[in-house]
Amino acid sequence: MKEGFRQAMAWLHTWTGLIFGWLLFAIFLTGTLSYFKDEISHWTQPEVRRHALDPVASLGLAQRYLEANAGHAESWMIRLPNAREAALEVSWREPGSGRRGGVSKPLDAHTGQPVEVRDSRGGEFFYRFHFQLQMPHPWGRWLATFCAFIMLLGLVTGIITHKKIFKEFFTFRPGKGQRSWLDGHNAIGVLVLPFHLMISYSSLVIFMYMVMPASIMASYGGSTEGYFNDLFGREEVPKVANAAAPLVPLASLYAQVQQQVPGAAMGYVQVYNPGDRNARVSFTQAAADSIAYQRSATWMFDGATGQLLTQGAPESATMMTAFSVVGLHMGNFAGPWLRWLYFVFGIAGTAVIGTGLVMWLGKRQLKHAKRERLPGELRLVEVLNIAGMSGLLLAVAGFFWANRLLPMAWSGRADWEVNSFFLVWLAALVHAVLRPGRKAWGEQLALGALAFALLPLLNGLTTGQGLNHSLVAGDWAMAGFDLTALGTGLFLAWAAGKMLRAPKSRAKRAPGAPKATIDSAEVSG
Amino acid sequence: MISVALIAFAGFAVLCLAMDRHFSELLGRKPGPGQLRLLRCAGWLLLALSLAIAMHLRGWAHGLVEWIAVSMAGVTLWVFGMPYQPRLLLGLAAISLVLGPALVVVR
Repeated sequence: MKEGFRQAMAWLHTWTGLIFGWLLFAIFLTGTLSYFKDEISHWTQPEVRRHALDPVASLGLAQRYLEANAGHAESWMIRLPNAREAALEVSWREPGSGRRGGVSKPLDAHTGQPVEVRDSRGGEFFYRFHFQLQMPHPWGRWLATFCAFIMLLGLVTGIITHKKIFKEFFTFRPGKGQRSWLDGHNAIGVLVLPFHLMISYSSLVIFMYMVMPASIMASYGGSTEGYFNDLFGREEVPKVANAAAPLVPLASLYAQVQQQVPGAAMGYVQVYNPGDRNARVSFTQAAADSIAYQRSATWMFDGATGQLLTQGAPESATMMTAFSVVGLHMGNFAGPWLRWLYFVFGIAGTAVIGTGLVMWLGKRQLKHAKRERLPGELRLVEVLNIAGMSGLLLAVAGFFWANRLLPMAWSGRADWEVNSFFLVWLAALVHAVLRPGRKAWGEQLALGALAFALLPLLNGLTTGQGLNHSLVAGDWAMAGFDLTALGTGLFLAWAAGKMLRAPKSRAKRAPGAPKATIDSAEVSG
Repeated sequence: MISVALIAFAGFAVLCLAMDRHFSELLGRKPGPGQLRLLRCAGWLLLALSLAIAMHLRGWAHGLVEWIAVSMAGVTLWVFGMPYQPRLLLGLAAISLVLGPALVVVR
């Protein structure tokens, strides 16, 4: 009976893994990139210069700029520069412009002057794609959440299927074909399991209001807004009094917050009804300061008198738990080295999915090793594997190349960066259809190697902020991006070399070698 | 946190050596009687010790998260490096075993 159960779980693992594997691979890869969202944005908008952090001076500069340029706005928002984001971002909403309408300007943190940046989504694109999949709201979120559920299912069924989880805990045997792929798949899956479990479970928590809305609907009716207002402890802001009153210097309010919580970094500052007697100013502590989102870490001031009115409501234990789980997923609290580990574990998750997809095909190709061409369904999986993995990497590189090469003044430039991403991906799919399996892999990986390895050079030529500049200036976000691109290029070159080199004599590798299985693909093209 | 990473790495290395197959593969001889049990205890102790230090240094929340992160990184390095550079990794584990606690004391 027990074996029957394990077989059923193996079946579930195999088939859900195949059907959702390509999508999960893309979700994991873009999610991994999102751990460096701000750094990627810094690379895609190199016009913004990095300066030493000085929150008091930044607040003064932002206030001066907004008073001069957005005096009549309904509200302001100031996002202070931090270790990862160099720009002092100000945005405001004109009266009657609705919730979404607003103007946003990055200011130089040193001069307070607006910086003319190239139009680009930067890291935000990968971040949004990670959970919205470029689909209309809310379908992308639903699909991504469903994928998270499948991932969790894949982990649980994978553990059940894996017979020797403890006996083979430390086992990896390279150079043994199919055996090595399975070892690798199991080892990365098991050794990084805490991360995998955390990341897929927390995705469900992030969208639990969407997945299990019954309790919210029962208490709040159809409006989820009331629920979120309560959850995040949003304060009601009074209407405009239409009586002018100068706004107190924001720096003085900042000092009050510092008195209460010494050393707290402020994430953003919102000003409602600026220049009015009913002005309100709220300070929110930076997400980098704690693992969980803290609604209590907000301070609301009267903007005309400078008096502290309220502090955010304390969290209940349940809230704290949910916010911690979400915070762990986002990793906003992570400093540089922990962020790198997040990135590495993200790649590990991507690799588990990738090796799974390769093994699914490898196992079945063996049976057809003697035949001229692969059966249609296996060829389909092969094409999707190539386009879904190496094709996606090419698309990511395409996005960055477009960022540097598209004309600055082009209208809709940011959209064309995104279009480039999808056009390259589509081209990779067509290429995978036209070329035999092994060659398609090799050629795409080789092109990817070139595309990534040359990014630092392209950056240096087009912006003058190549490695020779960024390393000297200590601009680690810029240098880190370039070095990571270079490293990715070298890795892809190694992989391409393996694929393009003529496979060794088949007899030697015969039983269970993926090389032999890919040979058959070569014939099939 | 480096000390925690080193001790956890050494802990996993010792736990790996506590398995019959890995012991003979890595050290080239059969384990003596009771040796494996001793290694297993030592490995778990090292892991517990590194967790305790992490929590002491960084508070329980950050400590736990960072301990899991560095342990996962360490054991992954161990498992994927072992087939290629077993001697180097054994050396690293030995150094970690000394350097890790030393760094804690020096602080």
